[in-house]
Amino acid sequence: MSSVSFENVSKRFGDTTAVDGLNLKIENGEFMVLLGPSGCGKTTALRMIAGLESVSDGTLRIGDQIVNDVPASDRDIAMVFQSYALYPHMTVRKNIESPLVARRSTRLPPPERDQRVAEAAGILGLTEYLDRKPGALSGGQRQRVALARAIVRRPEVFLMDEPLSNLDAKLRTQTRAELVQLHETLGSTFVYVTHDQVEAMTMATRVAVIANGALQQSGTPEEVYDKPANLFVATFMGSPPMNVLHGQIATGTSGLEAQCSVGTIPLNSAASALGAGAQVTIGLRPEDLIIDPDGHLQMEVSLVEHLGHERHLHCSAGTTNVVLRQSSSEPSAAVGDRVSVRADSNRIHLFDPDTGNRIQ
Amino acid sequence: MTTTKNRRDTVASSRKRWNESGLALLFLGPTMAVFALFSYYPLYRLVYFSLYRPNRNSFIEGADEWIGFSNIWDNLASETFTAALWVSAKFTLMTVPLGLTAGICLAVAADRHLRGIKIFQTIFSSTVATSVAVASVVFTTLLQPENGLWRDVDWLSLNKSASAIRAISVVAVWQNAGLTFVIVLAALQAVPQEIKEAARLDGYGTVRNFFSVTVPMISPALMFLAVVLVVNALQAYAQFEILQPVKTAQPLLYKIADPDGASTISTRAVFSLGLFGVTILVSLLQFNLLEKRVHYGN
Repeated sequence: MSSVSFENVSKRFGDTTAVDGLNLKIENGEFMVLLGPSGCGKTTALRMIAGLESVSDGTLRIGDQIVNDVPASDRDIAMVFQSYALYPHMTVRKNIESPLVARRSTRLPPPERDQRVAEAAGILGLTEYLDRKPGALSGGQRQRVALARAIVRRPEVFLMDEPLSNLDAKLRTQTRAELVQLHETLGSTFVYVTHDQVEAMTMATRVAVIANGALQQSGTPEEVYDKPANLFVATFMGSPPMNVLHGQIATGTSGLEAQCSVGTIPLNSAASALGAGAQVTIGLRPEDLIIDPDGHLQMEVSLVEHLGHERHLHCSAGTTNVVLRQSSSEPSAAVGDRVSVRADSNRIHLFDPDTGNRIQ
Repeated sequence: MTTTKNRRDTVASSRKRWNESGLALLFLGPTMAVFALFSYYPLYRLVYFSLYRPNRNSFIEGADEWIGFSNIWDNLASETFTAALWVSAKFTLMTVPLGLTAGICLAVAADRHLRGIKIFQTIFSSTVATSVAVASVVFTTLLQPENGLWRDVDWLSLNKSASAIRAISVVAVWQNAGLTFVIVLAALQAVPQEIKEAARLDGYGTVRNFFSVTVPMISPALMFLAVVLVVNALQAYAQFEILQPVKTAQPLLYKIADPDGASTISTRAVFSLGLFGVTILVSLLQFNLLEKRVHYGN
């Protein structure tokens, strides 16, 4: 087990900056998910930990050791690639064994090797496939072989680059749970890269949201979801994404409120730091919008999406569109219905319209 | 009722089969015609001339003369054939391993992202675009016994059979290296980047990585090259004809082309069949030895 810390780490490819002054400490035994859209620099950050990319600036540590100039093979890490990167000409046994035999100097004696392979194969349910080649396995089984190859060397840090993206939805859900169990069993540090916020929410002990090469926020999944540090994190986390409205703070009869083009949203006392007349960006999670005859926002239902366990209502008023999440057990509205919508005043997110940073 | 339906189904499926066969023939036709004209018919004529001496006298009518299977056995056992086969074998053994190794080394060296690497890749692969005849002419400037640059290098002298084979092999190695380079470089570039990186993380050193991961991944290309280069070497002719002022080293194809007019057409037909047989045997042997080590696809 080991921690990993980025201290002002940057990575440049020619004129392009992929990672820009990243500061992040991944603690011992943590399951850290680096989350962000494609091209945000999260994979580059992971590859720098692996030693597959050099560090342009800053200091990268694994444990107490600065690893900026340590070759990939000398870092005590194991990586699971998106395409699994199994050796197609080797059997599953040889693939799993590979890190134990690759270097003559650190090669383990055969009995210990066999024992470690059997142990890894046992953990991942691969025992009966040991003599097959990867070509004869399904995507899920290949993914397990890649994991077994990683755990067999008992590394300080596990690195995973979108390992579930090639699996079908059902298998992905199952493997997510298995990865969490594996993390609990091994107790090692996991660094996991994904663009899928569901994976981040379900597996991470901590999430680091990255955009444009810079860290936007790090925290537990609940913190990142409930208190997004800025508008990017707010809209990136959550599906359907957070609704964003623009308004102005005013003092109404029952206290502070935000006046928007579609109506007035009452705010709680936490917004009192803002003076009347201030411009504000309001974030409303779809599940925090409720259809209520006393609601302040008057809208028309333009689309209803049934997902089985829940329902998404797309409502509009003028050019403003919002999405509401409802339980399927609630009575449904029909397309064309006019509805009054109320926002849960304790669950309203306010952002600075200029910087996008969270106000409360 | 059921019987009628079954019969109708049988008729429909047999008609479908005929239609599919017709379509298959339509697609196969052009290739079959070309093969028939340029491969099967010449092969038939070779077998024919091995067994019959043609009646060349156009004034006297008469059938070609049957000379029998003994013509085949006698010629294949003759000193002429075995000596030529030995020259071809030595030439093959000298040119294929060296050419392959040189090409692979160049390809590995050039398989990296460096400024100007395309220039080197073009230079290394340029021998592919050079015909055997042109390459031979170019190498006469080095090998020519009177005024070539290497005229004093005794072990590459074109005047003696043994050293002439070595000298001519230099040209073939140069050419084989280019072909090997192009194909191996393409194969190396097709090895997924993630597999190369996984091997790095597993801790394979450069040499072990090459033999344990890279070679198996490019094995289909190496197998192809091994077979094609051996077949090419067994069929070498132009280098021997162009480079040697006096033809001291004469491979199999030289005996078959027979520019000196030393043999009858029946003898040369038998030599051709001999070369055909040797090529098939060597290729089969290569397939048997190498196929198990070749890994195709994922």
